[in-house]
Amino acid sequence: MTRAAPLAVVLIAAALLVTFPYWSAAWESSRFATTVLRDMLVFAIFALSLDLLVGYAGMPSLGHAAFFGAGAYAAGITGQRLATDQLPVTLGAAALVAAVLALVIGALVVRSEGIFFLMLTLALAQIVFAIAFQWTALTGGSNGLSGVGRPTLAGLDFSAPDRMYVLVAVTFLGVALLLWSLVRSPYGRALVGVRENERRMRALGYDTARLKLSAFVVAGALAGIAGALSAYSQRFVSPGDAGIGTSIQAFVMVLIGGAGTLLGPVLGAGVVMYIQRVLSSAIGVSETVLGLVFIAFVLLARQGMVGVGRAAWSRARSR
Amino acid sequence: MSPELLFQQALNGLSFGALLFILAAGLSLVFGMMDVINLAHGAFYMLGAYVALTVVQRTGSFWLALVAAPSALGLLGLVLEPLLLRRLRGRHLDQVLLTIGVALVVVDQIGLVWGREVRSLPFPPGLDASIAIFGSVYPVYRLFVIAFGVVLAAAISVVYRRTKLGMLIRAGVQDAEMLGALGVDIDRLFAITFAVGAALAGLAGVIAAPVFGMQPGMDSDGLLYSLIVVVVGGLGTLGGAVAGSVLVGPIDTFGKVLFQDFALALIFAIVALVLLLKPTGLLGRVRIAR
Repeated sequence: MTRAAPLAVVLIAAALLVTFPYWSAAWESSRFATTVLRDMLVFAIFALSLDLLVGYAGMPSLGHAAFFGAGAYAAGITGQRLATDQLPVTLGAAALVAAVLALVIGALVVRSEGIFFLMLTLALAQIVFAIAFQWTALTGGSNGLSGVGRPTLAGLDFSAPDRMYVLVAVTFLGVALLLWSLVRSPYGRALVGVRENERRMRALGYDTARLKLSAFVVAGALAGIAGALSAYSQRFVSPGDAGIGTSIQAFVMVLIGGAGTLLGPVLGAGVVMYIQRVLSSAIGVSETVLGLVFIAFVLLARQGMVGVGRAAWSRARSR
Repeated sequence: MSPELLFQQALNGLSFGALLFILAAGLSLVFGMMDVINLAHGAFYMLGAYVALTVVQRTGSFWLALVAAPSALGLLGLVLEPLLLRRLRGRHLDQVLLTIGVALVVVDQIGLVWGREVRSLPFPPGLDASIAIFGSVYPVYRLFVIAFGVVLAAAISVVYRRTKLGMLIRAGVQDAEMLGALGVDIDRLFAITFAVGAALAGLAGVIAAPVFGMQPGMDSDGLLYSLIVVVVGGLGTLGGAVAGSVLVGPIDTFGKVLFQDFALALIFAIVALVLLLKPTGLLGRVRIAR
């Protein structure tokens, strides 16, 4: 196989993904499928950003929804207060607010480890949730923020469901490409080094706290972008978007799919959203299924779906 | 704030603190022994309240529910520990993650069995009145909660200091591995610990139900408040759970009166501050679990 072949496959897959609403238009369930796939991709971005922390830098954050929620509110509020639907303004505000928040929270947490890191990220994210829940004048409080507009870019209007989908899909590809190059760069390698042995990395001269903080900010900004896309898609922001349930949802996606890989969180987001959105109407106990699947992966296949796939692949090849 | 209101709020704070102690004691015990933060603790608390609801509906007896719900939860804990957690012994972070899955399943099943609407449990007969103290009228049930919390703390303290099980628990909190090396059946001890933790969560659910009712989200409220208490007071020690609940109960109550909108943010800010300045909590052990 030549080097160009895998690239061609990826390009074709990407093109098929972006154009899904158009080539599936003849299907009876095309609109529903487009909506579900759109939400899968929004959460895939969110899960990818969390995986940069959990899988690559070794920081198991239980508070990542703070940045998702901050981005969603920032996009919704700037759009409404500035009466603008310009994508660069609202999406930029989402990424910026989430990044600044991640800088503050990150500065407080990067030096703690293990269970304390878990609890500290949880506690700090709950402050963000509490503010979203109780600052009614700004966020709409427990009622949430409704009437979020869909964005426009250079005369291009993303209001229609198919256009909104394309915006999400293109952003997803952009984020995936960014992370793909990031984890292969010396910076990404250094993050993995911190995960594997922080003390040794420090001895080698790396400023590990700063490395972890920078990963926290990048992951926070990307989660903020995912939050903004969610706000545009749903035309609504709920305080729950910043709450512990959303943090746990992303964590489950990363672990089921496979932490420390880029394919894993995407697969995990797909599986979790499929269970919650499609299977739930069929069986009505989707969270139970999700919980059992999650327990099974933690117990039996801690490397997630990607890990299971890799093991099966290498067994098949060694035969 | 008038003196009457101040007094009333102080009592509210204390009764909330007493409830928090019952809730947090189990979480703290499990962490102290097994180094596992049980993220299903809130789900167990919720389940306790709903089991109590069914018992009260069938038999009409709150007191029977007060025994039955913790027993049911204890049994659940006794099954879950060997079935799930034991397989991951030594991998504390994975054990914590496992309890997330347990919480998802338990909460979903509660919704399936009991529905997702708001439910309430009547005050037990005899405790449904209000009495006058220092010129203000105060519900008897809340005083009962304070008394119950104090008695439970005293009882746990006696078990800790005077019984063989208490001795094993204290030794296990110090160094469970060494205890195993000395010939103690650690598997059994861990299963019992987890069961007692779950039973305490269930007990807190029963006690809380007449005051706060039952609704979706009760699980995360229970989990978050018990985490707050053990983090502020110190993980894994009885004194820590007492100190944490005595502090957090009144702070939360007065915070809600004084800063309505930002009480919740205030309490989590305090938690973050404690975690940053003294990660082991105010009365915590020095050892930091990885």
